[in-house]
Amino acid sequence: MRSITLKRVKKLINGSPIIDDISLVIPAGKFFALLGPSGCGKTTLLRLIAGLEKLDSGQIFMGDEDISDCPINERPINIVFQNYALFPHLNVFENIAYSLRLKKMPKILIQQKVLKILEAFNLEGHIYKLPSQLSGGQQQRVALARAIVGEPDLLLLDEPLAALDFKLREKVLLELIELQEKLKITFVYVTHDQFEALTVADQMAIMNHDGTIEQIGRPKEIYEFPISSFVAKFVGTTNILPGTLRNLEGEPEIEITDLGKFKVDISQKKSWMSEGCEMMISIRPEKILITKKVAHNFSNHLTGHVHSIVYHGRSTQYNLILKNGMRLQVFEQNEEHFPQEVIDYDNEVHLYWQKENAVLLER
Amino acid sequence: MRKEKSSELPFAIGIPALLWQVLFFYLPLLFIVGTSVILLAEDGSFAGLSFKSFGNFLTPVYARVIFFSLLLGISNTVICLVIGYPLAYFLAFTGKKFKNFLLFLLIVPFWTNFLLHVYAWFFVLEREGVVNTLLMRLGVIHEPIHFLNSVFSIMIMMVYYYLPFMVLPIYSSLERFDRRLIEASLDLGATSLETFRKIVLPLTLRGISAGFFLVYIPSFAEFAIPELMGGDKLMFVGNAISHYILGEGTGSLGASFTVISCTVLLLTAGGFYLLLNRLLTPKQRCDG
Amino acid sequence: MGKIARLLFIATIYLFLYVPIIVLIIFSFNTESFPSPWKGFTWRWYEELFQSTHLWKAFSNSLIVALSSTLISVTAGVLLIFYAAQGGRIGKYLFLFYGNLVIPETVLAVSLLAFFGLMSIPLGLTTLVLSHTLLGLGFVVPMVYARFRELDYRLTEASLVLGASSIQTFFKITLPLLSPTLVTTALLVFIISFDDFILSYFCAGSSSQTLSLYILSMIRSGVSPVVNALSTLLLFLSSLLVWIFFSLKIRARIF
Repeated sequence: MRSITLKRVKKLINGSPIIDDISLVIPAGKFFALLGPSGCGKTTLLRLIAGLEKLDSGQIFMGDEDISDCPINERPINIVFQNYALFPHLNVFENIAYSLRLKKMPKILIQQKVLKILEAFNLEGHIYKLPSQLSGGQQQRVALARAIVGEPDLLLLDEPLAALDFKLREKVLLELIELQEKLKITFVYVTHDQFEALTVADQMAIMNHDGTIEQIGRPKEIYEFPISSFVAKFVGTTNILPGTLRNLEGEPEIEITDLGKFKVDISQKKSWMSEGCEMMISIRPEKILITKKVAHNFSNHLTGHVHSIVYHGRSTQYNLILKNGMRLQVFEQNEEHFPQEVIDYDNEVHLYWQKENAVLLER
Repeated sequence: MRKEKSSELPFAIGIPALLWQVLFFYLPLLFIVGTSVILLAEDGSFAGLSFKSFGNFLTPVYARVIFFSLLLGISNTVICLVIGYPLAYFLAFTGKKFKNFLLFLLIVPFWTNFLLHVYAWFFVLEREGVVNTLLMRLGVIHEPIHFLNSVFSIMIMMVYYYLPFMVLPIYSSLERFDRRLIEASLDLGATSLETFRKIVLPLTLRGISAGFFLVYIPSFAEFAIPELMGGDKLMFVGNAISHYILGEGTGSLGASFTVISCTVLLLTAGGFYLLLNRLLTPKQRCDG
Repeated sequence: MGKIARLLFIATIYLFLYVPIIVLIIFSFNTESFPSPWKGFTWRWYEELFQSTHLWKAFSNSLIVALSSTLISVTAGVLLIFYAAQGGRIGKYLFLFYGNLVIPETVLAVSLLAFFGLMSIPLGLTTLVLSHTLLGLGFVVPMVYARFRELDYRLTEASLVLGASSIQTFFKITLPLLSPTLVTTALLVFIISFDDFILSYFCAGSSSQTLSLYILSMIRSGVSPVVNALSTLLLFLSSLLVWIFFSLKIRARIF
């Protein structure tokens, strides 16, 4: 199993850069997620790796081998398309056996391998059916089986859950994780759904509209320590509050107009930080305590006015308006282990958060 | 970075079809055009271009021939359209069981040798044919009617032959028509007629155009039907061309006449195309 | 009310289409030649038909020409698609094949006649095949190319990714997916060639006679039950072919 390295990869479509100077290392044997908004070019990047598109500049390496000029059918890379692209005139068995037949494997071996994978994917009952006779979930499994049976070094998945209904998605997601762990093949999973990415990834990269990578890291790192407001807003929801950095050398705090000063935690001083500079803090909604009572032991405190409440089943979302007109979102888990206070529309509430839970972002 | 795949494959692979088409379709046409305008000297060398040969045909007689052919083409097309569109419409909206059967019945004559149909109508319309014999037996008439060798028999045969050409493309576009558009229109308050005029008709324009030209263009230069069912009256373009080309020494005249009539055909066809587009596209109004 | 009118309308049209044919068939079995009314049932005209050597010669000529032109035009079409599948830019040349729709067959026939004369190509089966193939190309190329463009390009991509070369992909994926269209188109071209009259009239010369020309000669000599018999048989043949066409079309919808 080899790692994939992209060096300064560029791809232009109609003159504009869809992929703009991307350098990236996809570690071997891991589940890698590429997350980005629709149209940002993540599918294009996938296709570049598969060889379905040509590079305009840059290189792609597999381990130490430069595969930039390697034709599609010679790369040990397989892709599962969003619409599965199952061959409509071949039955399930033949679809899966396709790549094996090309390698001129002995018939008995092909049969063995295909039957084994059919079993693993619960498809034995459908061997001789045509794709048109299968359900969406079954088609997806055939597409997956077809891509894996040839034991590729790398498996690319292009929004595999997009065509499935909601309940099925969670199930398939977990099955994919199990599969990757078992096979130890490098998976590259492309999606615009941050929930999916956070769930599956060992390592993830966030791509933006300009065709560049904003941040790479483990899911928890990306979620807890986004390096830009784009990442903070795209991965999960967050509250962004703009202000000025004060007291950098002493006890640093952010001064927000008409709202006050709030303590911030600077564990790592960044180059853009200077006394009096403009900045923003990002606070995740679940990291804010909402209560009508007075609480202690919190670094920061605000008061707010409940504007609307949205009930989500396992959590409740409160939308608040602050003294200076800014809005804030707070999530609260509906544990209800003990009788809770009732927070209602138009209530005045207290909001508390710890300074360590606010991320500082450059403005 | 990577080699263009297409440059690896010689153009020669794709060429047979193109070559054939150019060689046997366009070259001969060019030749005909050439024959009509190129003058040859006594020794066969090139002596310049001349449009003189066309002058032979700028007479009332030939203008009449072309005019009648236009009439033939247009009337045939219109009749086929008037009969064909409703037929296609009913076919498209019929239940599945009948639909295939009716289509089958429509295509069988279409795929049977055309001359057999000419013969069939001969059989029916002849002086001693079925219709006359029947009418005489019933005492309706006392002498056989001369159905054949008339405009009537030509028209019947033309419609008979060309109807499927009109029906099938229209049927095809109606088949693919999204029924929900009709439902939406009715839901929004339009009557069936308005829905048809504003929604169905414009969106099936493609099929109508296709049918229109599949009928009009061949009808104009129709040779066999007037020849067989119209007797010896040299009324139409098709007959005229055949007469000249196959006649002794009139080959070059034939070429010129062919070029003239073809030009007229293409001009009128182009005109109709524009007209059709204009007529069947509802005016877009943006003045609120 | 509307339903009855609709039914009446359709019935009238189909009656118009079929009455001559039905009459023809009926009288092919009449013991005595028209115009005598129905006298009795007989196979006699059919027997006479089958004994005619001219008929069989004409029939086999038409068959040979139709098969050849179908074969050539479909092969040429497949080659063209093969080229396009490897990345060749065919699209811009496609308009060349629409000429068949814009130029009436009479004009084409006449041009070919003159052309063959110029090139000193003797008229006969060869010229027939040459000209009928043109007709065929006019159908094969646009229809098959259109279907080719409708194919999901990701299927070819999937094949490549799984390790197939461009050529393997063409034969394993593209061609099988195109085959329903190829077959229906081939059937169409065959029929058009077999039934063709105008091109045959001008380009067959005096030596070879196609079925259409044979029928013409018979018609010229007047009404005869033998022609009725021939018509009935050919109708039966056409029905068979249309039936095959329909079954294929229905199967093709699966793809």
